[in-house]
Amino acid sequence: MAQEEDEEDFTFNVEEVQNIVRDNIEFCLGGNIYSHSRTPQWISVITEKTLARLNKLNKPFKYIMRMTVTQKNGTGLHTAAAYFWDITTDGTCTVRWENKYMYCIVNIWALALQL
Amino acid sequence: MELVNAYTKKRSSFGRQPLFCEQGPALCDSVPSDPAAQRGYVLRNPVHQPVQHGPRTSAHTVNTARAEYTTTGSNHAEGGWPKDVNVLDPEATQRYRRKIEKDENYIHCAMSLSPGMDHYVMQNNAIDMYQTYYTELAAQPPLERCSVRTVNVYRDPLAGGGGGGGGRPVSSVAWTPDGAGFAVAYAAMDAHLAPRAPLDAFVWDAESAARPAQTLRPPATLLDLQCSPRDVHVLAGGLASGQVAVWDRRRGAAPAGASPPHAAHRELVRGVLFVNSKSGREFFSGGPDGVCKWWDMRDLSAPTDEMIVDVVHSSFEAQSRARALGVSVLEYEPTIPTRFMVGTENGLVVGGNRKGKTPTEKLPAQFEAHFGPVRSLERNPSFLKNFLTVGDWTVRVFSEDCRESAVLWSPPQRRRVTAAAWSPTRLSLLLALQADGRLAAWDLLRRQHEPALAVRVSVEPLLRIKMHDGGALAACGSGAGHVYMVELAQSLVQSDKNDKALLTAVLERESRRERVLEARARELRLKLRQAEEGSAAASEEPPDERALADAAAEYAALVRRELAAL
Repeated sequence: MAQEEDEEDFTFNVEEVQNIVRDNIEFCLGGNIYSHSRTPQWISVITEKTLARLNKLNKPFKYIMRMTVTQKNGTGLHTAAAYFWDITTDGTCTVRWENKYMYCIVNIWALALQL
Repeated sequence: MELVNAYTKKRSSFGRQPLFCEQGPALCDSVPSDPAAQRGYVLRNPVHQPVQHGPRTSAHTVNTARAEYTTTGSNHAEGGWPKDVNVLDPEATQRYRRKIEKDENYIHCAMSLSPGMDHYVMQNNAIDMYQTYYTELAAQPPLERCSVRTVNVYRDPLAGGGGGGGGRPVSSVAWTPDGAGFAVAYAAMDAHLAPRAPLDAFVWDAESAARPAQTLRPPATLLDLQCSPRDVHVLAGGLASGQVAVWDRRRGAAPAGASPPHAAHRELVRGVLFVNSKSGREFFSGGPDGVCKWWDMRDLSAPTDEMIVDVVHSSFEAQSRARALGVSVLEYEPTIPTRFMVGTENGLVVGGNRKGKTPTEKLPAQFEAHFGPVRSLERNPSFLKNFLTVGDWTVRVFSEDCRESAVLWSPPQRRRVTAAAWSPTRLSLLLALQADGRLAAWDLLRRQHEPALAVRVSVEPLLRIKMHDGGALAACGSGAGHVYMVELAQSLVQSDKNDKALLTAVLERESRRERVLEARARELRLKLRQAEEGSAAASEEPPDERALADAAAEYAALVRRELAAL
């Protein structure tokens, strides 16, 4: 139904976004050793690709993307976030990817465009 | 990153206001710490961290566009082909030619160029550029190169016998009249006039220098030997004993005749010269005793004539032998038969006249020439009035008109000048010999202050010179008994066309100068004498003044009378 399609169009599809992000990370970081000097380059590549694909979804959302790449040398990491938004329209997505040498955590927040 | 999301939305479907509500902190992600993993890492210490703070520059090179050069030559047999036409291809060239011919301007260009071309072509045909011109003109005479070279040396075969190394000094050289040979007399004498070396004199053939053609044996040292001008075989010589002797070459080495000692000179005979006569057998001789004797070869028992060389100024004085001047050299010119000249040991040159009746007529002229004995005396073959004398260290040229002094003279040379001779062919040339063995060729038309050419002919002093009649050869006799045959360069042998006129002018000018000087000197002497005489008559002064005063008074009176009469 058109209403359902509209509604689908207006909601945030977590699965789809996760798939997009995971693909991009895998493509860029897969199998690499953590290198501090190369990290900015990886990050810029991943963000560019991800945002491009998110834009292609053609959904009326503002996207905020945060990426963290950490070397796997025994440190611990804990992140949390709190929101004050419209629960029905806005959504969030977190992707955690790891290989033998590093972690990569990507947060995507999608905020609905009211206009 | 150019991300654009363009969408359209109906106004009615503009969103409702957001219904905010809070959502509590939700875990995003959590990674537990794992100390075991830390063991895989080691702290990197030290860490090299380069820091650079400086202006960042970059290198940039810029070059101008390079021009490509090619060097090509042009064969202008047919020039001006553009680059794209292949010259070797006849078709292409034909095509190009036709294209040019069809051009409008072609006709005009060709028409304007053709008259010029015509002109040049005709000019070219008129003159042959490659022809040698001026071949018919005589070549310029080359620059004068004077040179003198010794052609032959005739060494005294008896040298080395007499005292002291060298040989017998040559006392006279004379060419035979045919010019093919010459006679040389050698005289080596000590202070007492006794001969130190063999007495032989030789007649040499000019061609063979190895041995003389004939030997002559005089009874005493031969001081002067002359060949007869008419007869090749007859020679006359003067001896140191005062005698004169005559040789005939056909007869042998001994003299054909000699004068007896009582009729001969009282001292040695310095000079012998043949005189112009019908038979060609007369000659005269002179010596330091001051007497000139004339001899006839057919009868040498007594002289035909004698003259005492004592210049007297008035006809009342008689000539005396005691005052006579010793003769050192004789001079005779065949073209002036009765006149002769004598050079004395005092340095005077005395002109003589055989036909004179009184002593003054017999020795009319006297010239003061040198400070020592006159060694050579010769008239110029073309200018008979001028003669050269050689004496102390100079060569002088005299003119018979100027009695007081020489007309031309050389500056005093370093060494004594021993002999000189005029060149028979070149009018202005005289050759002078010096005591250091040098031959100086003086050309009066070239330079008068120094010889035109001076060459060293021998190491020992040169004593006698006699020039060959041809003018190219000169025989110089030296103090060691050698005779050097010297050949002169062509420029020194020939006279140019103007030489006679030029030399006349030179001698004229010099003699005029001397005459002017003579006149001036005479005037000065006269004035001096008058001044001496005038100082005795000093009382004539006051009468002059009185006369002057009288005349002035008379004049004043006259004037007053005239004025009163007006």
